[in-house]
Amino acid sequence: MKIVFSVFVLLGVLAARPGLAQEHPPKLDAPYVATPQVTVDEMLRIANVGPQDVVVDLGSGDGRIVVTAAKKFGARGFGVELDWRLNLQAVENARQAGVEDRVKFLEQDLFKTDLSEATVVTTYLLQFMMLRLRTVLLGLKPGTRIVSHDFDFGDWRPDQKTYVRKNVFLWIVPANVAGRWQMRLPLPPVERLLDLEMKQRYQDVEAHARLNGVPTQVWEPKLVGDRLTFAIVDTTDRENEATLYFDGRVRGDVIEGELTRGVGAERTVMKWRAAKTAR
Amino acid sequence: MKAARSVAPAAAAAGLFAGAALAAAPAPPLDIPTPYLPSTTVAVDEMLRLGGVGPDDLVVDLGSGDGRIVIAAARDYGARGLGVELDPQLVAESQANARQAGVADRVSFRQGDALAVDIREATVVTLYLLPGLVEKLKPRLLAQLKPGTRIIAHDYGFEGWKPDRRVVISKTYMLYVVPASVAGRWRLTASLPSGEREFEFELEQQYQDIRGGARVPGGFLPAFEARLDGDRISFVLVEDRVSHRFEGRVSGTLLMEGTVRSGPGRNSGATAWRATRVVRGSDEG
Repeated sequence: MKIVFSVFVLLGVLAARPGLAQEHPPKLDAPYVATPQVTVDEMLRIANVGPQDVVVDLGSGDGRIVVTAAKKFGARGFGVELDWRLNLQAVENARQAGVEDRVKFLEQDLFKTDLSEATVVTTYLLQFMMLRLRTVLLGLKPGTRIVSHDFDFGDWRPDQKTYVRKNVFLWIVPANVAGRWQMRLPLPPVERLLDLEMKQRYQDVEAHARLNGVPTQVWEPKLVGDRLTFAIVDTTDRENEATLYFDGRVRGDVIEGELTRGVGAERTVMKWRAAKTAR
Repeated sequence: MKAARSVAPAAAAAGLFAGAALAAAPAPPLDIPTPYLPSTTVAVDEMLRLGGVGPDDLVVDLGSGDGRIVIAAARDYGARGLGVELDPQLVAESQANARQAGVADRVSFRQGDALAVDIREATVVTLYLLPGLVEKLKPRLLAQLKPGTRIIAHDYGFEGWKPDRRVVISKTYMLYVVPASVAGRWRLTASLPSGEREFEFELEQQYQDIRGGARVPGGFLPAFEARLDGDRISFVLVEDRVSHRFEGRVSGTLLMEGTVRSGPGRNSGATAWRATRVVRGSDEG
């Protein structure tokens, strides 16, 4: 791994390198096509980038995404680019934008890059690379935002899509919820035991429940990052039927959150906690 | 149709429990929890919840039956309400129910035809009517209701008008937000970083779906991500590699105004824009 520092530029390496480039042109997996600035802006906007974020651009070219994220959105970040000449340009661009202390550019293979620190990953790669990358990205922390334009991840449906001159896609890495879960709900008049079985395809969840052993439909299941919401209709107390709205966060083998029963003046809110019982 | 619906799950559950009963001996008594049948209480709750009903609302229920929606809106959400019902006996029953619920001062019931009543003051309209009547009501609702008024339909929605939200909890609930009328030609002025600008701005509309753009000398800037939510409008114009995000409100039929942010980032300053209608277009809605 080589980190290209702006010092390099100051030493005049830029001037010396072009000759070398003729002899050792970098071997690239995708051609370099710069992303238009309007699209860069839209990508960072749709990902709701802010000062807390670490933005990683895979195939960072002249660094414009990472530099814009730092300069206009207050984020930190790094770019990954195989072409060292573009990296030098990126470092220079970062220096000119006054953000060289918050960004860096790595000359390496993006498939060999540690992405564990990223909260936002941006890409503009050819379709076949996107599909290879999909597996890697699905392993990132739930909630990590991924933004691309023009190219998508096949059958992984984007969570959001906008069109400002180009298609921009946002995906949110979903938590793993597939398996069997169980929780006890301290609701009057009797405690309920809720068994939940979930199947998952990316962020799309199919759920089946048993409330005290009775099959019960799960309505509107939604998974956004680590946030899981769904509703079931509680008919245990026939005189007081109500919908239970679950809203929780997935943390490994535990889901914890709040549960709302009833509406208006009848509304009660309580905590719930489900534990995984089988994968 | 309702009968058929309730029979199917009952039969399925009976099948499930028959298996369990065979395995266990002696056979357990038949105190099996009845499978869920759509409960009106749950349906009423869901409609009011989807409508985001609150103390500032006037909820009008067309075909109000025994008054339960209007009464729940007043009792559980602090709203005011009006029920319209053809059957005078149900109207009398509703009034008695309202007194019993202690909300008689905030709700009223009128014997009459949903197609004839004046609903201009409503901020929320609830419907649980058969498709034919829902369709007949549509032009009236669009003509009378203020932009931003929420219409919540239960099971049967409007044909050709895509709901702004749709929730399925046992049954289907649809939320429609009455869109402002914006179709036509507007003169749009904005102070952009490039200076004071004036565009001829055109919009086509089908209910809440809008599209259009701005004419500039020698070209056309399409309005990207154009959205209309009640009286709130937003769109993006891209010129000279800079995106301008317009957000604003439509006031009446001749004016819309708001703020525009140019360029990327969180700190791009907002400046004012304003558009006046030059030609009113035909709303395809």
